[in-house]
Amino acid sequence: MRSILISCLLLALSGVAKAQEIYNADLIPKDLLPYASAVIRNKEVSIAVKDLYNTTYYIKEAITVLNKNGDDMARIVIEHDKSNIIRNIKGAAYNEFGKQIKKFSEGDFDDVSAGNDFSLFEDTRLKHFLPAITEYPYTIAYEYETRSRQTLNFKEWYPNPGVGVAVEKSSFTFSCKPDFKIRYNENNIPGSVEINTNPAGLKTYTWRLNNLKAIKDEPLSPYYEKYLSCVKIAPENFTYYGISGAFTNWKELGKWEYDKLIAGRQELSPETIERVKEITKDITDPKLKAKKIYEYMQAKTHYISVQVGIGGNQPFLASDVDKQNYGDCKALVNYTQALLKAANIESYYCVVEANDDYKVSLLHDFASLEQGNHIILCLPFKNDTTWADCTSQTMPFGYLGGFTDDRAVLACTPEGGKLMHTPKYSVNDNIKSRKANFLIEENGNLKGNMVTTFRGADYDYRDQLINEPLAEKYKMLQKIYPINNLDIDNLDLKQDKGREPVTIENIKLHARDYATAANGKYYFMLNPVNRQTTPLRRIRNRLNDVYINRGFTDEDEVIYKLPEGLRLEKEPLNVSIEKPFGKFTATMQLKGNQLVYRRKFQLIDGTYNKDVYQDLVDFYQTVVDADEYTVSLMK
Amino acid sequence: MRKTLLILFILFGAAQMAIAQDFPFGQVTPGEMEMKKYAKDTSAHAVVLQEFGTSRIAVASDDNIKLIYEYHVKIKIFDNKGFDNGTIAIPVYNNGDADSYESVDDIAGVTFYKDDNGLTQKVELENRKIYPVKENKHWANYKFALPGLRNGCVIEYKYRIESPYFENFHSWHFQNDIPKLYSEYEVHIPAFYVYNASLKGNFKLTKNAVEVERSCFSTHGASCDCSKMVYGMSDIPAFVNEDYMTSPKNFLSAINFELVEYTSPYNGVKNKMTKEWKDIDYQLKNYSDFGGQLKRKGLLKAHVEPLISGKTDDLEKAKAIYVHQQKWFKWNEHYGIYSVDGISKALETHSGSVADINLSLVTALNAAGLNASAVLLSTRENGLINSLYPVIGDFNYVVARVEIGDKSYLLDATDPLLPFGMLPLRCLNDKGRVMSLDKPSYWTDLNLPQRETSTYTMDLSLSEDGKLKGTLLEYSAGYKAYEKRKAIKKFNTVDEYVEDFNGKLPKLKILKSEIDNLDSLDKPLSEKYEIEVNLYDKLNANRLTFNPFFLDKITTNPFKLSERSFPVDWGMSSDDRFILTMHLPSQYVIETPPQIIAVALPNNGGKYLTSYEPDNNSFTFSHIIQFNKSVYSSEEYPYLKELYNKVIQSEKAEMVFKKK
Repeated sequence: MRSILISCLLLALSGVAKAQEIYNADLIPKDLLPYASAVIRNKEVSIAVKDLYNTTYYIKEAITVLNKNGDDMARIVIEHDKSNIIRNIKGAAYNEFGKQIKKFSEGDFDDVSAGNDFSLFEDTRLKHFLPAITEYPYTIAYEYETRSRQTLNFKEWYPNPGVGVAVEKSSFTFSCKPDFKIRYNENNIPGSVEINTNPAGLKTYTWRLNNLKAIKDEPLSPYYEKYLSCVKIAPENFTYYGISGAFTNWKELGKWEYDKLIAGRQELSPETIERVKEITKDITDPKLKAKKIYEYMQAKTHYISVQVGIGGNQPFLASDVDKQNYGDCKALVNYTQALLKAANIESYYCVVEANDDYKVSLLHDFASLEQGNHIILCLPFKNDTTWADCTSQTMPFGYLGGFTDDRAVLACTPEGGKLMHTPKYSVNDNIKSRKANFLIEENGNLKGNMVTTFRGADYDYRDQLINEPLAEKYKMLQKIYPINNLDIDNLDLKQDKGREPVTIENIKLHARDYATAANGKYYFMLNPVNRQTTPLRRIRNRLNDVYINRGFTDEDEVIYKLPEGLRLEKEPLNVSIEKPFGKFTATMQLKGNQLVYRRKFQLIDGTYNKDVYQDLVDFYQTVVDADEYTVSLMK
Repeated sequence: MRKTLLILFILFGAAQMAIAQDFPFGQVTPGEMEMKKYAKDTSAHAVVLQEFGTSRIAVASDDNIKLIYEYHVKIKIFDNKGFDNGTIAIPVYNNGDADSYESVDDIAGVTFYKDDNGLTQKVELENRKIYPVKENKHWANYKFALPGLRNGCVIEYKYRIESPYFENFHSWHFQNDIPKLYSEYEVHIPAFYVYNASLKGNFKLTKNAVEVERSCFSTHGASCDCSKMVYGMSDIPAFVNEDYMTSPKNFLSAINFELVEYTSPYNGVKNKMTKEWKDIDYQLKNYSDFGGQLKRKGLLKAHVEPLISGKTDDLEKAKAIYVHQQKWFKWNEHYGIYSVDGISKALETHSGSVADINLSLVTALNAAGLNASAVLLSTRENGLINSLYPVIGDFNYVVARVEIGDKSYLLDATDPLLPFGMLPLRCLNDKGRVMSLDKPSYWTDLNLPQRETSTYTMDLSLSEDGKLKGTLLEYSAGYKAYEKRKAIKKFNTVDEYVEDFNGKLPKLKILKSEIDNLDSLDKPLSEKYEIEVNLYDKLNANRLTFNPFFLDKITTNPFKLSERSFPVDWGMSSDDRFILTMHLPSQYVIETPPQIIAVALPNNGGKYLTSYEPDNNSFTFSHIIQFNKSVYSSEEYPYLKELYNKVIQSEKAEMVFKKK
């Protein structure tokens, strides 16, 4: 430790002597400049575990901001709370030639709550500071230390902080006594870890990366951990908020979480247990019993986020939720488990990384506490494993939706943790199918009715309309559907919350001026409601694979009855394209005064080679063009 | 016997009059529990049954005079979409750097619900479930969620805030996003203090009573009477936001208070806060964080002199100073009319609030011998200012105004991309008050002749391979140029911008690009692109259809509702022109020309026009969409919506080219 200090001192001294040289913006390698608004010149992150109760983080960074867009990259943000204390913040700003122009210290920082709009309370606070420098480029160099009183959760190392930042040099050092065993997980790390013993007798693990180019924002990129460098570290023996433990795999970590964070928090009052028995007494099938209990919980509770104590990892007492009627995901799952237990139904408390845009699995070969951000419920019925999210008042029993489907999760059970996989909603499950019968009148007005069915991950597309009064539903539909002058005459919205949930929307509508009638001709958009209007952005020299998170199938059939005696002025639409990642067909046929339009759009989820991207751009453009097709009719 | 009864009765009556008209806490009626819907607004997910507040100036337990605010409400929640009303944050303020926030106490909450057996139960908020959150230096929140919510429940809560900030007398918001059956605010103001009360919004008070409370206030031997004022309103509808409206604050029914003057109860000295503009002028001129900063010309002389040396034209001098100040400062996003750190510190750190930056600009302009003043205004989000009488608390922003010859210019140095004489959209809100050190203040119009203007000129040829090739020229002027520059500067280089712009239009290929005047803020921004569009696969068809709006077609109307309650407020007028010249291969002639259409809004409010000029194998088609007003009233709304309808209809029509 002492030698670290000395080497820091030496570095700082040499920094003063050669500052001019070090932070001169001209010294940035030219090939790091494209797409960069800031360049990390050097960043050193060190984690030192002193004993089971003490971890020190030491961060030292110099970052050069090239233009206004990079200002926010220079913002220093430090998280802290009662058990993560900040020590010694200091830093300075340098002009483009590397000359120091101002200094700053902890007193310049603002301290704010890390809580957000959807959170009632969080322990965590943020100290932040952004020096105001008006001449570009400029460099901010700073260092600080934080101390943490736990050894379970170590911050992951992400040397590349995101879009628009290049990295000249970055290193990560973990040091501990030789008997403090760790496991680590490397992602996209080209070299290998350097393991040494430092003069103080501590074992050190060091990772270094140099010359990382700024990344561009590329649409349909995989989850960032798939292509950015990252190192995660987990201990074998640890203490966490005064609780000790040990693990090397998910089984042991799951066991610890169950024993220390969950067990014993499911006591309910005799009245509540009685109530559970009462509402399930006429049901024999355990799954139907569970459904009844889940629906009881949904009607009784609502979601409010409160993150306090044990790193925000321990659920409220079930009896507390029973009384307060609210809780976060942990509390609500724990409460539902308690209710189920009263009916002798087994269930698991499951940790999941919830994300609508990416399916992120817990790493099967690397157990650590910081993976996962949400808790869901699993009911291990024989040959019929059933899942539920307890934070929603509207979801059907057994339905997860796109937030948590198709990924590995950790079930924390009394026997230990086990990785399980949630069910998948695939291309052929996520169906939006529509049938419409429209009449176009002589004056161009449209009327008719339209039935749309939503299944799979699309089931909840109309949830926001449920429980709204009719007038409000009409207004919402006017915003959802791009038919101008749309008036809804009648709406019938049904949800079947059965084993395969379905939403059926039946609308009777009319719209003035749907077709433009001019000089004996008629013009109208062939595709009335389901238009893909934005093409996919073309990318020069794409680097990332193409990731399609969710497959779906859209089927539309619209039958227009037209005024008599009209014929088509141009070629009818007839498009058909099939690619590994999807299919699109759109056709129209005019027979007498009946025009039939059929469209099928299917996208297949998966990860594809980056070379496929341009194909996908062209594919989308074909869809956009077809969806823009204007019917042109003449006498 | 009879006499005593009478006396008792009078006494009782008097006592009744004197005590607050608050409703009892912790009681619910069977009617409230049984209520299924709010008959006057069946769409409501919750309704306020009763709401009562008091503000009084009184001697607190620590012997200091404080502003004491008490709030109490009872809400019926019909369904879970109304549960948000059960999560409460009570904000408290701290003026200084110390941890001396306003104090909150007596927080109590209770929920009444029907249990599974249909019996009314009550569950109380526990103290340990109230979370104090220090949000930042100036604000903290006391947060709590009421327990036991379920459909059909009734919640009730109350709290009390003690504050040393007499200037921040609590406003009362009669109207909110849920309807209210009844809302009442009672204020007690000792005669030592004088406040102006102003009512905003469209609804009338149903109760408005004033009475005198004898000797209600005394401290250290001084005592006085109080005025007790009661403002009540019944059946207040929910406030519904509409798209493209300005601040809801302009329309919400509320009552605001402004401290006019007070007499110190300790020494009898009278302190005037606001009364007439001349008092405010005097006060601001002599206030160190405002007038005090404007007087620091000496401090800015050194900055200004090198900028103006050799310049004789005043406009040139002003521009040089403005540009210098724009580049010197980084705005820290803080609003307000008073300097926070003082312009000296702001100059030194290159950072400051709106007032730090723009008061420094005014002073710099004056230091150069120019005639500059400060203009106080209220931003759009902050709402309209009251022009009937001065309410200094309504202003939250200050800009500079410089007079050169017979012209005047409004300047805001917080944004380096604003050209000289242009204000950002947030400032375009009716009027501002011009303040200078040597003249009485006066009003000035802020909605300058500021406009968004763009012109697209395309000259394209259809070639034998079915491609459309040629140039696209885009001129953006006024506020449009500012917005465009902002968008371009989001990229590190112009090349990166063009790459992104072209990426978003994959059908189009940009072969060459040239962007001019990106940094010459006073000139229109010009973008010139050489483009190629894949229009047809091949050119062998007998008839080709073509939509002349292909690059920027409007297909959906931004206005969906059949009527609206509030004006459409875009902040400024706009003018968009498109001119397409197209050359056809010699074998094609035009069979169907585009539609010629001219529609206008009443009172010269705007128009949509197309024009068409054919030539040999080529044609020029142009169209204009113009909105001449910045604000359209709800009466004008149907016309506005219909104009868009006409635009969309017209843009659907296609041209036909036929083989000879």
